[in-house]
Amino acid sequence: MSFFRLIAVGLLLLAAAGCRGQAITPTPAEKLSIEMAVEPDPARVGEAALIVTLTGANGQPVDGAKIGARGDMSHAGMAPVLAEAEGGQDGRYRIPFEWTMSGDWFVELTITLPDGSTMTQRFDVSVSGAGS
Amino acid sequence: MTGPHKERAVTHTRLDVLRLPLIGLLRRRWGRLALQIPLLAAAVLLVIDGFTGPQMAARNLATVAPWVHFRGFVVLVLLLAGNLFCMGCPFTLPRTLAKRLSIRGRRFPRRLRNKWVAIASLFLLFVTYEALDLWASPALTAWLIVAYFAASFVLEAVFTESAFCKYVCPLGTFNFVYSTISPTQIGIHDPEVCRACVGKECINGSYSPTPLVRLDDIPGGQCEVRHGPEGTPGCGTLLFAPQIESNLDCTMCLDCARACPHNNVGLFVRQPGRELLRPEAWPKRWDVSLLAISLAALGLVNAFGMVPPVYELQRALIKTLGIQSEWLMIGLIFGVGGLLLPFALALLAGALSRALARKKLSLRHTVAAFAPAFVPLGFGIWFAHYGFHFLIAPLTIIPVIQEFLGQPGDWAAFSSTADAVLIGLVQGAGLVLGFLWSLALANRTAARLYRRDAVPGLLPWALLLLALAFAAGYVFSLPMEMRGSLLMG
Repeated sequence: MSFFRLIAVGLLLLAAAGCRGQAITPTPAEKLSIEMAVEPDPARVGEAALIVTLTGANGQPVDGAKIGARGDMSHAGMAPVLAEAEGGQDGRYRIPFEWTMSGDWFVELTITLPDGSTMTQRFDVSVSGAGS
Repeated sequence: MTGPHKERAVTHTRLDVLRLPLIGLLRRRWGRLALQIPLLAAAVLLVIDGFTGPQMAARNLATVAPWVHFRGFVVLVLLLAGNLFCMGCPFTLPRTLAKRLSIRGRRFPRRLRNKWVAIASLFLLFVTYEALDLWASPALTAWLIVAYFAASFVLEAVFTESAFCKYVCPLGTFNFVYSTISPTQIGIHDPEVCRACVGKECINGSYSPTPLVRLDDIPGGQCEVRHGPEGTPGCGTLLFAPQIESNLDCTMCLDCARACPHNNVGLFVRQPGRELLRPEAWPKRWDVSLLAISLAALGLVNAFGMVPPVYELQRALIKTLGIQSEWLMIGLIFGVGGLLLPFALALLAGALSRALARKKLSLRHTVAAFAPAFVPLGFGIWFAHYGFHFLIAPLTIIPVIQEFLGQPGDWAAFSSTADAVLIGLVQGAGLVLGFLWSLALANRTAARLYRRDAVPGLLPWALLLLALAFAAGYVFSLPMEMRGSLLMG
């Protein structure tokens, strides 16, 4: 293989990478307010809960949604924590969760409303050690 | 060339892995490319995902692959096989382009032909890694990869030898030091053939702009030697195959084996860590000694950066010294903990060792004699640290690849974590075995240097190794935290 063939292989790879697939983007839910709190607060390593409050455009609570929660640490290579909840009462959803390590976490909530529309929002959480 | 060849020829077993089926293909003209092209492809994909993918470290190839899986594989492969990552390094591919541009010509400056630049680049990499939170930033990691290619290209283009690999590259320097414990090493089959060889192609190469044919009288008869434009370069780091005593500085590129017209150079299986036992294999230089000792300490400081006491230390530095610069604070921690303190302690141990053993060996020779003993413990510390990151979620690379390809990542299926007890055992085993190996080496060195006064001569070094092992054990026993540094909130 000549050096220029090598360059060609590299360019092909670049082209292939440019064709990376795109995930299907769901219909966004409009004017939905999402708030998240953690229990216990401040967060510490161990079992916990995410308290999510959904409010519609005119301030009314939104029930009947399905919420997927995904917690990732800021460091690469850590296993994410996945959890979900459905239903809700007065727009309030309790999602059992677990902080598996202390550090900086990103919690991504994906809300699917009964009409099929969705919305995603990210929250940053700092988790301290179990004994802190 | 005389006698020494015979002695060196028997320092490894007769098993040349390049003469085994399949592995022997690496000796072919494009054998190294077979490893480099997949790694080049991987590097290109990492850069693309780093710049265009999700800027969340756990879901981007640019952060997951190099900071978790690559580092885990590196320590495993160094332990079980050899310096295969330098062998397959894609950063050296620009050498070919540099050669074609014909702008090479000068040798690397004489004053820099040592390990001081490599130590500085290691220090810079660690400080940059922490100060910029590279482990949390796909885009910055992608820039680092690009910078690596650029630096390699420029240095390879300007200088004749592989200056980047031998004097600058921090990853290669890590591999060089810890490949000294690897079970393979470049060597020769028959020293008589090397004596009779006229061209010494293993170091000079078989490349020439115009074809050239020569006849060598070697044991067994005459051998035709051809040089030409399709020839192979000689050793880029200027190691002469019959005299190689150590894996230090060997990138395992196998150019020596390819260039040898007599098929006399091989990759031999040997006793792991062989050169750590042989005083003549380890240069008696301050730079090399500091490299071996500080790399062990840098491993400890790097792990220390992930446990709660580091935040206490940062708060104390802010309070007492009023440091407000992230770079300055991290530079101070790594500079003192990873370079100044270990080397000062090594000097102290050397001075005490000489005094207690009443031996008039110079301080430089004393420190150089004991420096190799820090390699196994240093490796154990890195093994424990990288092993943790690798085992905590070894399969998460799969959903990251799935998402890169536009598919939903099956995180639930591939997020399993190795048992915490198992991870602890692996870390403990790495530390304990590394420490015992280091202690045995120091003991042997003391016996060789001091004979009847070996015990007092060993004592300061044994205490220093013990302190390092205890400090590492303490750090690994603490709960790890994954967060940005204090000043960055």
